[in-house]
Amino acid sequence: MSELHVDSIRKRFGDKQILNDIFISCKPGQIIALLGRNGSGKSTLLKIIFGSLSADNKFIKVDDRKIDSLYQKRKLIHYLAQDNFLPNHVKIKNIIRCFCDTKNAALIMGNDLIIPFLQKKVNQLSGGEKRIMEILLVVHSNVKYVLLDEPFNGSSPLHIEIIKELIKEHSKNKGFIITDHDYKNVLDISSTVILMDSGNTRVIKEFSELIDYGYLPATSERTQHP
Amino acid sequence: MRIVYGLWLFYIKLIIPSLVVSIALSCLMTAASHFLVGIGVSYIFLTPTFHYLTYELRNPNEYYFYYNIGLSKFILWTNTLVISTIIGMLFMLI
Repeated sequence: MSELHVDSIRKRFGDKQILNDIFISCKPGQIIALLGRNGSGKSTLLKIIFGSLSADNKFIKVDDRKIDSLYQKRKLIHYLAQDNFLPNHVKIKNIIRCFCDTKNAALIMGNDLIIPFLQKKVNQLSGGEKRIMEILLVVHSNVKYVLLDEPFNGSSPLHIEIIKELIKEHSKNKGFIITDHDYKNVLDISSTVILMDSGNTRVIKEFSELIDYGYLPATSERTQHP
Repeated sequence: MRIVYGLWLFYIKLIIPSLVVSIALSCLMTAASHFLVGIGVSYIFLTPTFHYLTYELRNPNEYYFYYNIGLSKFILWTNTLVISTIIGMLFMLI
């Protein structure tokens, strides 16, 4: 059974221990919500799993194969960074061709949201348009695991619903780890909820635990999940 | 093949500014050196400089695009240094 296994992640910035022996695992079909306050290390953890940030200690394997380099991960893990990352000087159609295989490129180019942008360069798009483009690229990519750092940030309500449906559809054969402060939308689609607190992870079973551990204010509205 | 295309997309952003400034510098140095040699030498040193200014300082987030297609920072820097040296040497040998 395919599995992304992340273990013993430790990371310190100066005197502050951000991640303290973190363990997390993800299987295709799972959507893991990674919640936590600002500065709790959510983005740091995703960057370490992806390989763009070094850790003081880490052990990452996919399908019983230890992986270290970005080159090894290019067909296994893709990452949506917090801020826009598409090269400004390139046309959208060329970005799609570079990022995706032929089949997925055709799917994205046929998307009603993307068709109007195909001949434009990235720097001609608004921040929200860039975001939806990036999400489509990462979610459609031919990998087993997708890490999404604040996918709903800067997206309109309509786009958020489209993104949620897209993630749910692709989670049938991919594993997702999502972090976003829009906790209602994240909880809406997640199958597992993990809270990061003081460098550690806690699996959340009840909504009230998010309040008990100080992530949400006591007045927060309960959602259906967890 | 997509990796090669990715390298091209990364490098193409550096070619025009490096070449324009190299030509300008070479024009200023015509008394001291041959015009094409001047372009070649300038190009070898300017392209890594523009790489640093463009990607490390101005648009560091663009690296994530290239990371996703399997190109690490080490590979991208190596690409810049090797291609610039080859192009610079070609100018010097013409």
